[in-house]
Amino acid sequence: MTKLQGRGMRSAAPTRRRLIGRAVATVTVASLLSSTVYAQSVDLSQWSPEYVRSIAGTEEVDTAEHCASVVPLDYEGRLTYWWTGPNEASPQIERDINEQFWAAWEETYPNIETDAQNIDYNQLLDKLRTALLGNAGPMVLRLQILGGVEFASKGYFQELKPEDVGYPTADFWPGAMKSVTWEGTTYGIPTNNETMAFIWNADIFERAGLDPETPPATWEDVVAYSKQIHDELGIAGYGLVARQNAGNTPFRFMPQLWAFGGGALDESTDSPTYETVMLNNEGAKAALQASYDMYVRDKSVPASALTNTQNENQAPFIAGQLAMMIAHPAEYAKMVDLAGQATGADKEVADTVVANMRYGLIPEGPERRAVVFGGSNMHFIEDEYVDGGFDEMAAKAFACFWNSPEWSTKLAWTGSNPGNLRGFKTEWMKERLDTIKFLDVTTSMLPNGVPFPVVPEATEIMNIIVPDMLQNALTERMTVEEAADDAAAKVESLMGGGL
Amino acid sequence: MSIATQQAASPPATGTVQKRSGFLSRIVAHRTDYLYVLPALIVMLVVIAYPIYYTIELSFFRTPPNLQMRDKVWTGIDNYVRVLSSPVFHEVTIQTIIWTLASTVISFLLGLGAALSLHREFVGRGLMRALLLIPYVISAVAASYVWKWLYHSDFGVIGAISVQLGITAEPINFLDNRQTVLASLIVVNIWKEFSFAMVMLMAGLQTVPDQLLRAAQVDGANTWNRFWHVTFPHLKGVSMVTVLLLMVANFNSFIIPFVMTGGGPADASHIWITHIYQLAFGRQQWGVASAYAVILFIVMMFLGYFYVKALTRGDEARA
Repeated sequence: MTKLQGRGMRSAAPTRRRLIGRAVATVTVASLLSSTVYAQSVDLSQWSPEYVRSIAGTEEVDTAEHCASVVPLDYEGRLTYWWTGPNEASPQIERDINEQFWAAWEETYPNIETDAQNIDYNQLLDKLRTALLGNAGPMVLRLQILGGVEFASKGYFQELKPEDVGYPTADFWPGAMKSVTWEGTTYGIPTNNETMAFIWNADIFERAGLDPETPPATWEDVVAYSKQIHDELGIAGYGLVARQNAGNTPFRFMPQLWAFGGGALDESTDSPTYETVMLNNEGAKAALQASYDMYVRDKSVPASALTNTQNENQAPFIAGQLAMMIAHPAEYAKMVDLAGQATGADKEVADTVVANMRYGLIPEGPERRAVVFGGSNMHFIEDEYVDGGFDEMAAKAFACFWNSPEWSTKLAWTGSNPGNLRGFKTEWMKERLDTIKFLDVTTSMLPNGVPFPVVPEATEIMNIIVPDMLQNALTERMTVEEAADDAAAKVESLMGGGL
Repeated sequence: MSIATQQAASPPATGTVQKRSGFLSRIVAHRTDYLYVLPALIVMLVVIAYPIYYTIELSFFRTPPNLQMRDKVWTGIDNYVRVLSSPVFHEVTIQTIIWTLASTVISFLLGLGAALSLHREFVGRGLMRALLLIPYVISAVAASYVWKWLYHSDFGVIGAISVQLGITAEPINFLDNRQTVLASLIVVNIWKEFSFAMVMLMAGLQTVPDQLLRAAQVDGANTWNRFWHVTFPHLKGVSMVTVLLLMVANFNSFIIPFVMTGGGPADASHIWITHIYQLAFGRQQWGVASAYAVILFIVMMFLGYFYVKALTRGDEARA
């Protein structure tokens, strides 16, 4: 947990000079927005690795100057903030940038007393639910893309759109904006968006008799490759993850489900209504069967998959005991870190793994190639649920600073991409592309991104029901058919207001 | 009503009035004392009585994920019907009973054995006592993570040793297997808490009169007879307290199953508390979770009642 304290808190009551300053700032922002609100800084229709490279480094930004036009830099106030930041499993550079951010924030707004809590990904939702019941929430919150709608539908979040902190909505991914919209109201700002990619160890492929430079093209190939690797070398082929109540599980299984033509609801269709349950259609059952084949029939994936998150896949991968997995671009940086810490014979193995690490597109299925459109959003919590009350100006200053092209890019350094699309034009994006291997591959998966259903029940469906379905099938507590039908019945009941 | 009955009934009524009068007069006489404990009573009402009341109230409502708690929907006893008719409830109840009984009995027996061994004088007794206390003083979360890695289905130390020794061809799947997971967690729980029983029983052993043991020895009683007829009767009180405390702790266990498996795989290691937690915080079914909690509360009260009855039976007989 990171706890930050700014300078001592002084009176937040605005003086006349400050009020005038704010009025001027408001007028300035309004005039700026009037000319920029409908203009998009990047052209999404041209999106490709080449386009991303061509725009990187073409624009200079001054974060402090821009945010000063939203909230004066001498504003005195108080801020409480919860988010999931870097942890021990994060690459060192993520932790360094995190520290740089907080130093820059304190330097830019020295009079905003800040209490920031870095909360584990799997704990944040539970903690937030409990805190809000006791009116003890933070002012500002960054939440995984899946979690927001539940709280918005309950009325915990304030209406909030990028324009409120000086950025045009057009500068954010349309899919990301959809994830912060509930019943026509926007209640958040996308901070970062990413898609994952398929990672494999070329050395293991070669030793198992596979083409080292060619990843599996389809999910059927993944099953076959995983078996071949296990049979030939006695190690795990694919890094299946099926832990319950952990976001890692749906992020890796849903692309498989969508590829086969399944879905939780109809979120993978062009115009989802979220009224059709697709967890037990033929596609979903085929996807579940593929996982069953790998875990039960072939035993070609880690036996610990039922209790594993992606973190538990890192050690076997760097040890050359796991051949394939789905992960962020940050995984490469993490492996470099791990290799740097290894010694003796372990170091040799780890260096070989890093040298043979490859990124490719997530395999296709009979219906499509799909990946979860992931990321996080920033929200403001309604005053009555905030511990100590809501400081609007402090919150806006912070949202402006965090979501600036500069910090939106830096804070997503290895694991994601800037939510603010102008970040793609900054010098830091260019540096990322130059230094982070495979970033262009994961970025090019963005057009295949499918957002999770934007319904209040999404967290339970994704974190509980989908992993339950996997576990029921993989432990043979139920057949594949029964597990799919059971999960579909649970979703239907849940959406109908039942258990 | 006959006159005889009235006469028979009268004395107790008078006695009750006198008793009540005496009770009230005692409160008045000690009003200053009650004032002193009033803050503590208020705190207890706030932190114990109110949560119990609120949990009971909540158990009669439904809490859909799109509604705030204040907008909860009245459903009467529907949550109780759902809980009691749910197959998961029966499965989790059986697992809870197995978890509680196995953990309590084995921890107690191991603790008793350790306490008896350490009660004798031998070189290194202090060191042994300290070593056996280590599991008890280690953080349950840290211990859970250590055991999780010991048990790991692919790279666990135990699995590797069993393969190296040729006991098994593949690492044993402790935690990712529905058939073995609960027993594996019970082993960790016993390891963690048997030293609590040991400490309690070691304290109890100090109360066994040495003269009695010596007299029994002089009379020709062997080790077993001395234990069964002298030592164990003296340990009855502390044993009952230890078993009660272990049972309550095990019924309410959370950390080990939650950290090590989260109740999985496929619910095979869920016990009541972890299941209630998942219903409330994972699925936001606060009403159903509250119904579970109320049922658990009632079960605990019943257990407590019968246990206290058993504990005080001897006293009543003597009175």
